[in-house]
Amino acid sequence: MKFEEMKQILVDAAERAGLTEYEIYYQMEESISAETLKDEISSFASSVGGGVCFRCIVDGKMGYASGELMTADALEELVQKAMSNARCIDSEDEVFIFAGSPAYAKLSERDVKLNDAAAVRDTALSLQRALYAQNEKVTDGTQTCALTVTTEIAMYNSHGLSLSNLVGMSGAYVNPVVRDGEEAQENFEFGEGTSYEALKELPAKGVQGALDKLGAGTIASGKYDAVFDGTQFRQFLSTFSPVFSAKNAQLGLSLLAGKEGETVAAPCVTLIDDPMREGAAMQTPFDGEGVATARRNVIEGGVLKTLLYDLTTAKKAGIASTGNGQKGSYASPVSIAPYNFSIAAGDATEEALFAAVGNGIYITECKGFHAGANAVTGDFSIESAGFMIRDGKRAEPIKSFTVAGNFFELLKQIDRLGNDVKWGIPGGFTVFGSPNVLVKGVSIAGK
Amino acid sequence: MISKSIAEAVLACAMSGGADFAELYGEITRNNSVSMVDGKIDRVTDNLISGVGIRAFLGTRTVFASTSDTSREGLMKCARAVAVAMGELKKEICVTLRERLLPNIHPAAIVPSSVDARVRADLLRAGCFAAKEYDPAISQVSGSLLGVDHTILVANTEGLYTTDRHVRTRIAISSVASAAGVNQSGSASPGAGMGLEFFDKVDPADIGREASRQAMVNLRADYCPAGTMTVAIENGFGGVIFHEACGHSLEATSVSIGASQMAGKLGQQIANPKVTAIDDGTIPGAWGSVNIDDEGTPTQRNVLIENGILKSYMIDRLGSRRMGMPMTGSGRRQGYTFEATSRMTNTFIANGPDKNEDIIASMEHGLYCRKMGGGSVNPLTGAFNFAVTEGYLVRNGKICEPVRGASLIGTGSEILQNIDMVGQNLETAQGMCGSSSGSVPTDVGQPLIRVSTITVGGR
Repeated sequence: MKFEEMKQILVDAAERAGLTEYEIYYQMEESISAETLKDEISSFASSVGGGVCFRCIVDGKMGYASGELMTADALEELVQKAMSNARCIDSEDEVFIFAGSPAYAKLSERDVKLNDAAAVRDTALSLQRALYAQNEKVTDGTQTCALTVTTEIAMYNSHGLSLSNLVGMSGAYVNPVVRDGEEAQENFEFGEGTSYEALKELPAKGVQGALDKLGAGTIASGKYDAVFDGTQFRQFLSTFSPVFSAKNAQLGLSLLAGKEGETVAAPCVTLIDDPMREGAAMQTPFDGEGVATARRNVIEGGVLKTLLYDLTTAKKAGIASTGNGQKGSYASPVSIAPYNFSIAAGDATEEALFAAVGNGIYITECKGFHAGANAVTGDFSIESAGFMIRDGKRAEPIKSFTVAGNFFELLKQIDRLGNDVKWGIPGGFTVFGSPNVLVKGVSIAGK
Repeated sequence: MISKSIAEAVLACAMSGGADFAELYGEITRNNSVSMVDGKIDRVTDNLISGVGIRAFLGTRTVFASTSDTSREGLMKCARAVAVAMGELKKEICVTLRERLLPNIHPAAIVPSSVDARVRADLLRAGCFAAKEYDPAISQVSGSLLGVDHTILVANTEGLYTTDRHVRTRIAISSVASAAGVNQSGSASPGAGMGLEFFDKVDPADIGREASRQAMVNLRADYCPAGTMTVAIENGFGGVIFHEACGHSLEATSVSIGASQMAGKLGQQIANPKVTAIDDGTIPGAWGSVNIDDEGTPTQRNVLIENGILKSYMIDRLGSRRMGMPMTGSGRRQGYTFEATSRMTNTFIANGPDKNEDIIASMEHGLYCRKMGGGSVNPLTGAFNFAVTEGYLVRNGKICEPVRGASLIGTGSEILQNIDMVGQNLETAQGMCGSSSGSVPTDVGQPLIRVSTITVGGR
């Protein structure tokens, strides 16, 4: 069933039910992926699927219902369910169906389309062969996955606001396994691109990363000056991004509550949310409520400039929404999240950061954030691996240690920033980025 | 959901690219959730997931396609996509299915989606209010009550046509305790493979009080010191240690391609002889139980490790083909958009020979982990981490002051040998386990155990 046809069924059902404030949000995703094992495509997958969410205001309360079954009966049932769900709400927060922003950002010239299946297979196979060709230590278990995905969003509401967006991404990850005697190590590298040609640097980078981990030793517990690779520091941003949500702040679940205008980070730190970032796979001109998005400095020169707001939290605070009321999937209720969220680059090369540390550690792998970090308290204790820094140079690999601290203190301890923002893989409409970050006196637990 | 005759046509079409096996998986899932924060019900949602996934095999090559379009045309289009991706189209073969129904050993007396959201809201309120009233320092409480009604259909070219229905219920409450600009948190989130009759056994108010108790303990705790220590890990969610440190490395997903430290070790002594570990998908009404796995294979009780000796892996259909070993009822997936792979169900360390009081008394200096958070593992290297959400220092055989912010790291092979005492109070706890086939409900469990030496991350 096409969006227009579905919309009409829902609009008719809503009108019949006497609803005056409602919204229809539709999301359809298509994807193709190919995975390799040894020297062949071991698994090929394609999918097309999505659903629709209907929400409406009944007596000042917002009810939601969503589904993937696009029959007239199932759609009409959504309207009834959303109304009955609204009647169970006792939150007194003011809720809104939005009439529209004065203007929306234009998407940059992009050719968003699903890569074709043959190109996806060829990319995966060529990358996989290139992995094995890098080094004789590359062994079975080595995998490559090439993928392409497009997501179509359409929304329509009772004010007549009608918006749509199409985003897409093609890329591949390589996961080489290297073996040296009894020891095995692996590495993971992701890149965006539609062909082997565009991704041909991945195999060398991937295999070198795995080889570098072989023979890692342990370190003694203590305080160390550390360089966090940007690929790892962005995981801290991701894990602790809920502290920038105005909803969490208003509920006392963020320690940044009431800190707008105060210094919350070192003076070198500027934190940017840029929904329409040039060259990004995810460019999002409107949020899940239909509010226009905009680029913002959340932290500027260490000072917290703003939190992220949706319509409800903005109303409570007496300001305008920042356009961060997102829907993670069609079925998700609106919740606050950033878009292209990164610490702005500084001026230091990798060599300069190592030289500034002199003797310390370079952290290139952090794991288990979902359990070892807590956004409410800011505390973290994270399994890590990396390299020693000796006499200002990267030295031998190290593993099996934890990095522990508190995110709010970490932001203040940042000493210097690298000159290159390293972006991650988008999840929903959100992607995190960070340059390399030098932090002094990090708590390490090792042997 | 999908009639036998349509399933036959769809499978025949999926086979036409030269596959030697094809499978159709259909899903209808009703998720109902009520959530509460700040003393008010703020979200009530209903979601209906509906779609199919079709998979074909040729040896160990697989092709998979999924769609939310479950009309006959949608299904045939999906099947053709599978056939085309497998190889050159040949004549369609004839597929004949026979319906099979297994007894449901996890019945649900009250299906959550059939009950007015107001009733579910009242259960949640009771839990959240009790959490808030626990102590004046409790500054915020949030909670949710989730009901899942998941019906699956599995048909394959071996002639299988069967359905199953799993109902599960879970309540989750998080409390925050605040003092002098510091927040500390606690949480509790039990669930079961049952309907709302779960609350005949479990009082929501007890769940709320448990979440607040932990938050209050952490509020008076200092940071955990870092270093290598002897550690005692309590029962229930403490079992996450086995789940992460060993369970994932016993899944065919990594074993069958040689990407597990446990590959090739059947029959070997991989753990201390006091360790016996089991994965059992047949426990009635348990959170991780299912009658059949998502490939249609009945679940079973798999003894993974017996007295320290590796006895079995957890094997799905593809793993079975790759490894030349029988399936173990372990093929699981979150839903129709995922391909099934080998996963855990209810996985636990069995009771051992040691008295619990002897375990604590044996520790001169160490850490007692009363509650654990989640963790993760790299099956290739065995390196794992997990979080301690409620911990106490132990001195001279006595449990002393609480400490916060600790995590435990190590490798699976090391810790299995270092579990040198196993107690007798086996209990399980509920979790959602994430892997390549999505997020599936699993139970973890163990009695109190002692690990002779492990790295404790703190500061």
